[in-house]
Amino acid sequence: MVGGIMNAPPLSPGGGGLWAMTPSGGARGDTGRKSEMMDSLLGLGGLMLLRDSVEWEGRSLLKALIKKSALSGEQVHILGCEVSEEEFREGFDSDINNRLVYHDFFRDPLNWSKTGETLPGGPLGALTAMCKRTDPGPVTIALDSLSWLLLHLPCTTLCQTLHALSHQNSCPSDSSPVGQVRVLGLLHEELHGPGPVGALSSLAQTEVALGGTMSQTSAHILCRRPRQRPTHQTQWFCILPDFSLDLQEGPPVDSPPHPDPHTLRVDPTTHLTFNLHLSKEEREARDSLTLPFQFSSEKQQALLRPGPGQATSHIFYEPDTYDDLDQEDPDDDLDI
Amino acid sequence: MAAAATCGTGAGSTASVASAASKSKVTSFQRRGPRASGTDSGGLRLVSIAGTRPSVRNGQLLVSTGLPALDQLLGGGLAVGTVLLIEEDKYNIYSPLLFKYFLAEGIISGHTLLVASAKEDPADILQELPAPLLDDNCKKELDEDVCNHKTPESNVKMKIAWRYQLLPKMEQIGPVSSSRFGHYYDISKRIPQELIEASNWHGFFLPEKRSSPLKVESCSLTHGYLKLLQFIQNIIYEEGFDGSNPQKKKKNILRIGIQNLGSPLWGDDICCTENCDNSHSLTKFLYLLRGLLRTSLSACIITMPTHLIQNKAIIARVTNLSDTVVGLESFIGSERETNPLYKDYHGLIHIRQIPRLNNLICDESDVKDLAFKLKRKLFTIEYITKLKSYGLQDQKYFLTGHLQRKFAMKKNPFRGSYTLKKTY
Repeated sequence: MVGGIMNAPPLSPGGGGLWAMTPSGGARGDTGRKSEMMDSLLGLGGLMLLRDSVEWEGRSLLKALIKKSALSGEQVHILGCEVSEEEFREGFDSDINNRLVYHDFFRDPLNWSKTGETLPGGPLGALTAMCKRTDPGPVTIALDSLSWLLLHLPCTTLCQTLHALSHQNSCPSDSSPVGQVRVLGLLHEELHGPGPVGALSSLAQTEVALGGTMSQTSAHILCRRPRQRPTHQTQWFCILPDFSLDLQEGPPVDSPPHPDPHTLRVDPTTHLTFNLHLSKEEREARDSLTLPFQFSSEKQQALLRPGPGQATSHIFYEPDTYDDLDQEDPDDDLDI
Repeated sequence: MAAAATCGTGAGSTASVASAASKSKVTSFQRRGPRASGTDSGGLRLVSIAGTRPSVRNGQLLVSTGLPALDQLLGGGLAVGTVLLIEEDKYNIYSPLLFKYFLAEGIISGHTLLVASAKEDPADILQELPAPLLDDNCKKELDEDVCNHKTPESNVKMKIAWRYQLLPKMEQIGPVSSSRFGHYYDISKRIPQELIEASNWHGFFLPEKRSSPLKVESCSLTHGYLKLLQFIQNIIYEEGFDGSNPQKKKKNILRIGIQNLGSPLWGDDICCTENCDNSHSLTKFLYLLRGLLRTSLSACIITMPTHLIQNKAIIARVTNLSDTVVGLESFIGSERETNPLYKDYHGLIHIRQIPRLNNLICDESDVKDLAFKLKRKLFTIEYITKLKSYGLQDQKYFLTGHLQRKFAMKKNPFRGSYTLKKTY
């Protein structure tokens, strides 16, 4: 299945979800649409979190994004910790493979063989070295995977290093202009509690959560541009064997869900003991009515000036059973 | 009090009084000793610092938070020597605005600033401060915003529900009468560069200060917090905010702003795990910071991502250790976004705590339903008093309790189509 519409079913209630896409509807070709999603994903820079799970794996999407970056001429560094280098490079063409700079921490993570191939300091040392690079031009750093790093490094150190890595381009003090850095991190969300995942989400500029139905994969993309409202989007896709991205329509929407019995739309204006719909005459009559608690000048005059029937004020007193009506002064009995 | 003091000096030296009377025709009273300076004046002379005013309740010295509406909710302003804690909203869009308002107010009032962050460079934060609105064009610009928003309905005086017109109104938009306290800002413009350069500010950016990230700490404070505390202490001491330099020319306030305290970027893992080793690091920091603030002329604003803190007990402790706590809750991504009651607003503001300083009671406002809205140029805070009757558009009624009970049996079927407000 090739081609598709960008408007996918259920968008999250964000409302401001569709960003920069719909006018391109029919004019551009299919390649235009494919690159649009990639561009929007990769254009933001900073940290992109790919959250996958057991059912929907994210490494193929990671490789598709790596391929796109490599084809556009950027430097690509890969920190491979979970799978071997041969397995990771499988499926890429030779020219792409030549452009990838692979740091292998799978074969010998603790540097026991002491061959001197791996960088000192382990993965953290490699990341810190990448922070200090000075060559211009945009660079993409793929972390495979962030889960492995979270399990081997303290979370705070990892967060600080990722922040330093992804915000490298913002310091203008360097003499050489450093290009934009993009960090793609693969995170297996089932391995971690809400704490680390929340901490990394707050650092990330883009989050892609993978899900889907039986036959199709969907990516729920959340873009957090600084100082702007975050935008949500859901995109259905599939990855072709050569790791190019293919966008698809969503699955056919089922028949509209039957109305929830709890939210029955009852017209509340029926079966009332009073009238809610007034005619024009009734409305005028109501507006001209003086309310009993409104203190108007006429009422004030009426209160101040006693009416013709009332000379003085009357007190109406009905004695209670416990009231003592004896007019005597009880203090008269005292002998003072 | 001033009269009594001068009377005392005058009575003791009648001779000098008589001779002085012939010399100076203004007054025959003479001050006895040399003029006392600094803090010795006590009740004789009120120390007036730019940008502050005494509270009408208890005379506490207050500074403005930058938002006059927030000042009104906090009882006039933020007391000098206290901490204002802002609980960040989920995507951290609105809390930086309050942070920037506080700092911009400091620049306009001429206070010294101390900006600390682990995420952004303080110089960049200062570049993004909003521009102040001057009195002459303020009204014109703000009226555009207000006119678009006001509906003709709100001008109708209520006949039956007239008690709701007695509700305290939020401070209307307009230039304040005294321009020394509480200014308005335009978020769409940046503060002029010369104002930043003319101001005195200190920045603390944690990634630059971390000399050895893998150093073992002996005390239980996280490395980042320790550095920050030392930095603040140095500034307070060197610049004399705690009275340690008596020949200081003029008293000034130090405004401290700390961004994203408690996030993993400060080296604290309360956001990462529930049972962390250094769970008391943040609370110790707040305790020590408050001690520093109480002994100096300073006010502090802290934004904290409390929605990320895993252990809820820490949030309670942090709230107790701060003086004023304001929580922001934005509607983005939550189900409240589609609620018609909230459709004009961007989020809710919760005033969680107001301090009782030298007092038995605090200045809480009666109405608790506060919402905020970010317009193009302003950040406004309003009471939610949106009442909709169904069927009638020109008069607002309340559906009383009797009606509520009548329809309660249908399991509240029209929850979304109108709003019920309880009368207070």
